[in-house]
Amino acid sequence: MKEKTIIRFSILIFWTFFWGLSVLDKIIPDVHNLWVGKDFFALFVKFFGSLGLKNPIFATMALASVSALEVVNFVFYLLSLVNFAKGNKSLTEKWFFRAVFSSLTLFSLFSIADQVFGDRFQLLEHGLFWLILIASWILFKYISDSDEKSFSLGFSKDVKIAVIIGICITAITSISIMNFSNKTFSNVDTPVSGKEVVDGVYKFDFPFLADKLVWEKTINNFKKDHPELRINYIYTGPSELNSKKKTHMLLYVFTEKRDIIQFKEK
Amino acid sequence: MKKNTIPTNQLIRYAILVYWSIFWLFNIVDKFIGGSHFLWVGRDRFAQFQRFFASAGIDSPFIADFALVVAAGLEIFAFVFFTGALIHYFKNRFDAARSWFLAGICFTLITFTIFSIGDHVFGDRFELLEHTLFWFLTLFSWVVFIRLERSTSSDELVIKKKQLITASVLSVMLVVVTSISIFNYNTNFFSRRTDAIEAQKVGDNIYKVSFPFLGGSTVFEKTIDKFKKENPSKKINHIYTVPNELRLKKADALIFYIVTEDKE
Repeated sequence: MKEKTIIRFSILIFWTFFWGLSVLDKIIPDVHNLWVGKDFFALFVKFFGSLGLKNPIFATMALASVSALEVVNFVFYLLSLVNFAKGNKSLTEKWFFRAVFSSLTLFSLFSIADQVFGDRFQLLEHGLFWLILIASWILFKYISDSDEKSFSLGFSKDVKIAVIIGICITAITSISIMNFSNKTFSNVDTPVSGKEVVDGVYKFDFPFLADKLVWEKTINNFKKDHPELRINYIYTGPSELNSKKKTHMLLYVFTEKRDIIQFKEK
Repeated sequence: MKKNTIPTNQLIRYAILVYWSIFWLFNIVDKFIGGSHFLWVGRDRFAQFQRFFASAGIDSPFIADFALVVAAGLEIFAFVFFTGALIHYFKNRFDAARSWFLAGICFTLITFTIFSIGDHVFGDRFELLEHTLFWFLTLFSWVVFIRLERSTSSDELVIKKKQLITASVLSVMLVVVTSISIFNYNTNFFSRRTDAIEAQKVGDNIYKVSFPFLGGSTVFEKTIDKFKKENPSKKINHIYTVPNELRLKKADALIFYIVTEDKE
C-alpha cells in the first residue's frame, strides 16, 4: 500500500467519524445508556437567553440550522470516503474539498457566534478546529505528488522482535491495569474515613472514583461513628487547596460536641 | 577540511523520533504505575475510564479495564515502532526508519481517532479538542519528517567563536541573576506554604482570609486552627469561597470568608 493512501484514509476516517458523531449527538439529545453526548439545546438556549432572546424558538431554529450543516458535512465526507474506497481519485478529492469547505463555513459561523456571545474559550476551540481543517486539506491535497512511495514493513526478523516485545509489554501492562482496577474499584462505594486536622474539624480526602453516593455514605458513616458530635458545617475544599492533580476532592466537616447531658439522655 | 557536524534537517528528524518515542513511553509508564506515588503523580486513567463508562450506564469495571488495555496496547505498539524507527535512523538505515516511523504514525492516528470517537460519545468537548490537536500533530510530524528527507538543505550548526563566547557569557549572567532571584524568593517566602494566615475582620462576625499562591490544605487547616484558638467565643457557621469571577484576574489567589456567631 502507498504511504499517501494510508495518510489520506486516516484523514477521511477521522473527519467522517467526527461529523457523523456530531450529527448523532444532535439526534440523541439527552443522556442515555451508552450515550452521554453534550446538551447543545441547553447551551443554545443559554446563549440566546443572554442576548435577551428568551423564546426557545430561536435556539431551536439555530440548532436545527447547525445540525443541517453538520449533516451536509457528514454526507460530503462519507461520499469522499466511498469514492476513496472505490479508488476514484478525482471524485474523492472533489467531495473532500466540498466537505472541507462546508466544514470551514460552519466553523466560521461558530466563531462569529462565539464573538457575539462573548465566549472566548469556544472561539479558541473553533479557531483551532478551523485551522486543523485547512491543514488537513493541505496535507490531503499536496501529499499526493511527492509521496508515491510504498509502505513496506514486511515480516522481517526485527519486525517479529518488535511484535513480540509489543505483546510482552502489553501483557505486563494489562496485568498491572487489572491489579490496579481490582485494588481501587472498591472506592466506587466505600465511605472515606476522616482525619481530625483541627479540634472539631475533620478532613476527608476523596479518591478519583468517588461520587455522590460515596459522599452520602461517608457522612452517614461519620455520624454513626461519632454520635457525640453534631455537624455544623461541611466545606468543599476548592481546587487551590488540592495538591496539583493528586487529590480528587477535599471535604472538611466542622463539628461541635453535643450537649453531654442531652446526649446521655438520648 | 570538512567538519564533523550533523545537518539541521537530521537533528529535527531526530527530535521528531525522540519526541514521539518518549511521548508514548511515558504514557505506558503512567498506565503501568496506576495511581499516585512518590515521584510520580500521573493520571488515574482507570478512574477516568470507569467514570466515563459509568456515565453511559456501564458500571462494570471489566469494560473500563478492557478499554484501557486496548488503549495501552495501541500505545505500546506505537512506542515500539517509534523506538524502532529511532534505532534504524541512528544506524543510518533511513528507508527502514521511514517505514517504522509510518507504522508508529498509523498506531498513533488510530489511537487518537478512537479517543475522539470516545469524546463524542461521552460528551467531553475539551478532550475532543485535545485529541484532535494531537491527531493533527501526528500528521504534521509525518509530513515534516518526509519533507526533511528530500530537502537538500546542508546547514550545519557551526557558530563563530566570538559569537559563541558572547552568547555564553550573556547566558551565564542571566542564569546567575535568575537563580539568585529564585533562591532568594525560596528563602524568604517558602514559609507561606505552611504558615497560618491572619483572618481579617471585615464586618460583624465576618472574617476575610486571603491566601498566598503557595498556600494549600495545610495553610487552610492551620488558619482555621489559629482562628478557633484566637476566637474561642465564636462558632464557625459558614465558609464562603470567593468565586473566580469576584477575584482580580490572576492577582488574587484563594480568598474565603469565615462567617461566625457567638457561642451560647
